[in-house]
Amino acid sequence: MLTMNLEGLEMIAVLVVVVLFVKVLEQFGLLEAGYDDSVEDELELSAVRHRPEGLEQLEAQTRFSRKELQILYRGFKNECPSGVVNEETFKDIYSQFFPQGDASTYAHFLFNAFDTDHNGSVSFEDFVMGLSILLRGTVQEKLNWAFNLYDINKDGYITKEEMLDIMKAIYDMMGKCTYPVLKEETPRQHVEVFFQKMDKNKDGVVTIDEFIDCCQNDENIMRSMHLFENVL
Amino acid sequence: MAAGVAAWLPFARAAAIGWMPVATAPMPVPPQEKRRGKDGLIVLNVSGTKFQTWRDTLERYPDTLLGSTERDFFFHEDSNEYFFDRDPDIFRHILNFYRTGKLHYPRQECISAYDEELSFFGIIPEIIGDCCYEEYKDRRRENQERIQDDEEADPGNELVSADLSFRESMWRAFENPHTSTMALVFYYVTGFFIAVSVLANVAETVPCGSVPNRAKEMSCGERYALAFFCLDTACVMIFTVEYLLRLLAAPSRYRFVKSVMSIIDVVAIMPYYIGLVMTDNEDVSGAFVTLRVFRVFRIFKFSRHSAGLRILGYTLKSCASELGFLLFSLTMAIIIFATVMFYAEKGSSASKFTSIPAAFWYTIVTMTTLGYGDMVPKTIMGKIFGSICSLSGVLVIALPVPVIVSNFSRIYHQSQRAEKRRAQKASKEAGQALVCKTNPNFEVHHHHLLHCLEKTTNHEFLDEKTFETSLREVTLVKQVSRSSSISSASSPHGFTSCCSRRKRKTFNVPNSNMSVGLQGSIQELSTIQIRERPLTNSRSSRSSLNAKFEETVPLNCEQPYITAAVISMPTPPGTTPEGDDSASSTDYSQANIVRVSAL
Repeated sequence: MLTMNLEGLEMIAVLVVVVLFVKVLEQFGLLEAGYDDSVEDELELSAVRHRPEGLEQLEAQTRFSRKELQILYRGFKNECPSGVVNEETFKDIYSQFFPQGDASTYAHFLFNAFDTDHNGSVSFEDFVMGLSILLRGTVQEKLNWAFNLYDINKDGYITKEEMLDIMKAIYDMMGKCTYPVLKEETPRQHVEVFFQKMDKNKDGVVTIDEFIDCCQNDENIMRSMHLFENVL
Repeated sequence: MAAGVAAWLPFARAAAIGWMPVATAPMPVPPQEKRRGKDGLIVLNVSGTKFQTWRDTLERYPDTLLGSTERDFFFHEDSNEYFFDRDPDIFRHILNFYRTGKLHYPRQECISAYDEELSFFGIIPEIIGDCCYEEYKDRRRENQERIQDDEEADPGNELVSADLSFRESMWRAFENPHTSTMALVFYYVTGFFIAVSVLANVAETVPCGSVPNRAKEMSCGERYALAFFCLDTACVMIFTVEYLLRLLAAPSRYRFVKSVMSIIDVVAIMPYYIGLVMTDNEDVSGAFVTLRVFRVFRIFKFSRHSAGLRILGYTLKSCASELGFLLFSLTMAIIIFATVMFYAEKGSSASKFTSIPAAFWYTIVTMTTLGYGDMVPKTIMGKIFGSICSLSGVLVIALPVPVIVSNFSRIYHQSQRAEKRRAQKASKEAGQALVCKTNPNFEVHHHHLLHCLEKTTNHEFLDEKTFETSLREVTLVKQVSRSSSISSASSPHGFTSCCSRRKRKTFNVPNSNMSVGLQGSIQELSTIQIRERPLTNSRSSRSSLNAKFEETVPLNCEQPYITAAVISMPTPPGTTPEGDDSASSTDYSQANIVRVSAL
């Protein structure tokens, strides 16, 4: 019995010692047991500086007066000293207006709508051109812009999925504490209503002409297009 | 909200055009634009240093000196500027507050000078940004304590004892021995007697030489029993008197009795009284001896005299979790090694490791590197495991101790800071609420924007409390299946705008729950839906944005208000009559909705 004990215990002892040894070596890094846990810091060069075009050029390209451009730029530069807005900052700023909900998805779509050259950042020119359309443009231009916003992949058609994404983003901005309580299918139903109204030939997509046609026939929408003309 | 974000409001409003085609209800009318004042530069001359800024920048905070008409008092016609006879260095920070929305505290400035400037310009210190707030509060506290110390040291400033009642002055004497000579005397006397009592306890047990008629040596306590008894009696009498006096003087007797120090006092003097009461009975003498052990607790009474002891006790208390974890891991290691040693040594003859609990003692002694040597392993296996045990003991004990020590200091400082911050938070929030009166113009437009979103989605914002209460109500009543989608037909006119919402009152309709969206054509008449709402003002849903919105918003609702009203209870299910006065709702099963139509 003595020998049996010894043998059994010997094995255990040897095993324990070996395991401990290996662990200690691992800790000292002499034994590469696991994968490389290298965390590479991504140095984000925040040295991006962008200077906008001259005031005269912007005056010519947009429908804002000199003074208005000055005011706009000052506000813009205050929030984004580097001269460009990246998506994160954009989402941040927009979310501050909707504290109860989650405005980041809608801000993402907005960002893509403003970032006309799709370079990942909105410069002051992009910003001011977008605003010029929204605030001073004709109804046609505004509707065009809205269509562009809804058409996520910019293929000229609004599908139900794209509209559902947009709708969910809008409903997300309401947050959770609403009256009446937001249900799961509310955005979907809203999309159905929208498509019923807009999709004249019932082909499942809304083209730009269908969209503009339908909006021009809807007096509510027409009226609301003029809502923000006095902003600024 | 940062002041700078207000500049982006036009953008947010313009972007709302993206919702318009989606919305099925008409948007609310935008509030009228306030006529913008001349946007010009203002020159502020502060003791010769000229600062310039936009008028708008200053008007961001309308209830400070610079943002309100109060600055007109300082207008200097000759030079067409505003002149302030104040410190320009500190003014720089104040002006930066208007520009960036954050108030900073410069470290090199004197705290009282800074405070004076802030109060002159009407700025509450509570809005100092997080980066500088702690420093500001610390400096302020230091300053106040210094002033307090100066006052206390000043003998002419002492509070006349007649102001306080006898009880209060006694309590003060107990808590702060430095206030009067009597208190000081009392403090030292009690301290002396605590020391005497503890020393007597210790000396009792020292062997004092043998007495001829007894075989073994006697302890001093037995030899001079009477002397020690008298000493003990004297000490206990002093302690009892002290305890009773404290009990008498305490402002809250209940709290005093619950406090740790009083419990220690009681435990210290109880054994004596129990000993008096009980006779020299053989049965209970064992217990009686145990009770005498409690007399050593008298040493804890010193903690009233020493602040350091109190701090130590507090830090131990605050690091209890760390200590607990250390103990737990140690216990685990002890059990493991004791088991292994027991089974390893089982084979050897005359082994001291008779059971696993017996092996505990060996493990503890080895792991703490004490190594008494009363139990040693004899087998080879035992020796191997024993050496592993002692090596790991070094690691297990030596490594966490510095961590715990540093944890002590970190937790201690942190808890102090957290307590400070908690105390400051309440006042800070109150200050924030007062100062957050941002541009009322901005608020009006912001609310209109949110209102447009509500219209687009046909849902309303609620604040948390209202939401939860309404949720509870919904679960009580049978769920109404409602179709949330509203047809594209025109819904109520935009008259149900911000104004009428404010006017909306609670109306307790039994069995009513959510109301359904309206359907139907209403031309001229505006309709208010009165829903069951626990809160009177649903506006409070947006109150998080601005604490004092109701007061600051000048509502320019010039639309006609509802004057007389007709209350009609529509019968379910209602069809839509053409051009009817009242609007009916879409199909719903159980909702009772009260419609108030304007006449």
